[in-house]
Amino acid sequence: MRSPATQFVSEAVAVFAKDWRCELRTRAALNAVALFAVSTLFVVGLGLGPLGVSSSERLAVLPALLWVVLLFAASAGLPRAFAHEEEVHTATALRLAGRPGPLFCGKLLFEITLLAAIEILVVPIFIAMVQLPVEEPVRLLAVLVAGGYGLAAGSTLVAAIVSQARGKGTLFAVLAVPVLVPLLLLAIELTRAAVGGVPAEGVLRQLLLYDASVTVAGMMLFPAVWNP
Amino acid sequence: MSARPAELVFTDVRRDFGGVRALQQVSATVGPGQLLLVVGPNGCGKSTLLRCLAGLLRPQAGTIEYREDEGNPLTPEERRRRVGYVAPDLALYEELTARENLDFFARLRGIETARGHEVLAALEVPGSRNFGALSSGMRQRVRFAWALLHRPRLLLLDEPFQNLDDAASTRILGLLGEHLAQGLAVLASPTPLTLPFASGSIVELGLSR
Repeated sequence: MRSPATQFVSEAVAVFAKDWRCELRTRAALNAVALFAVSTLFVVGLGLGPLGVSSSERLAVLPALLWVVLLFAASAGLPRAFAHEEEVHTATALRLAGRPGPLFCGKLLFEITLLAAIEILVVPIFIAMVQLPVEEPVRLLAVLVAGGYGLAAGSTLVAAIVSQARGKGTLFAVLAVPVLVPLLLLAIELTRAAVGGVPAEGVLRQLLLYDASVTVAGMMLFPAVWNP
Repeated sequence: MSARPAELVFTDVRRDFGGVRALQQVSATVGPGQLLLVVGPNGCGKSTLLRCLAGLLRPQAGTIEYREDEGNPLTPEERRRRVGYVAPDLALYEELTARENLDFFARLRGIETARGHEVLAALEVPGSRNFGALSSGMRQRVRFAWALLHRPRLLLLDEPFQNLDDAASTRILGLLGEHLAQGLAVLASPTPLTLPFASGSIVELGLSR
């Protein structure tokens, strides 16, 4: 007999593994995300280039652009987490067999790894294309991890809320603004600090607090959203 | 104190969709070894009733009480995870094979994956083929395998013989007969069915639009 904690983890991992197995066979989200990321990077690279922004403006503009690229690339794939289950009618089987807590965690795990894949694709190309000097690579890595987690968690929460609504795309965009804007502001400020080597006291702590808050809010809200 | 047998009692169940009344004050009691046969034309609320019984829809009025051995009625959340449910619109993952689908749901339910292979074999389903590549009859067999995976005491079957050939129908009737030795079932059908079970074990409920 498994302990409740072991069973919870086992269910979450089952959802995570199922989502990746389905994704690797259809590549629906991966293709959308990759296409969006590459085309956005191409436009940014061509529009700005290494000489397109003056050195004094680079620190202000490029970190914001990086997170805009990440946000839009993520928006192409992340809202599908729950909406796809409703669209193809597998949500009924999930509701009948699964528990909301492990299901939310499994979906969140999938979105985090999908966002990590987006970051691995986007960030090195972005840095190379705009020749962005990074003064503190470790801090940049920390903000990408914490910011990426927050973006995935916030998107999962909003995706869960809108999954049973009509006009999911519009509703996702409307609800995502208040949830994701604080995260993006913090992530941009920290990225700016990492790139320019300037101090940003307490911002990483705020970002981690945001991550924790969104995760707890998701865990608490999801059963109410998911159960009929 | 002896364990109380499983029992499903629903009273005056009503459900509307917008301004349309799908189900009006429906009541019945189903005990162990009994099959409630819900018969009525399309649109009379059979599927809505089964979705309410499964805990997938909340009725706007009336009560649904399902007890297993403990004697206390289960909450809708508990009921939802305990029942075995088969319906035409129940979909599994098309990208996964029948076996992978059942393995996934076995892990969600915390049971051995071997149980899924056992029910697939009993229903003669080719487990290595993608659910999306199966014929509609084979899909229906997989739905049955999925519903029987966790050995539910209560089976809710919405037009279960749809798309099944005679051999599959006979096999499923056999499994249903085995299930009724200890459990109970609710079966919805648009037309009256002749079922090979003792007449005392079948309770009919007629619904109309």
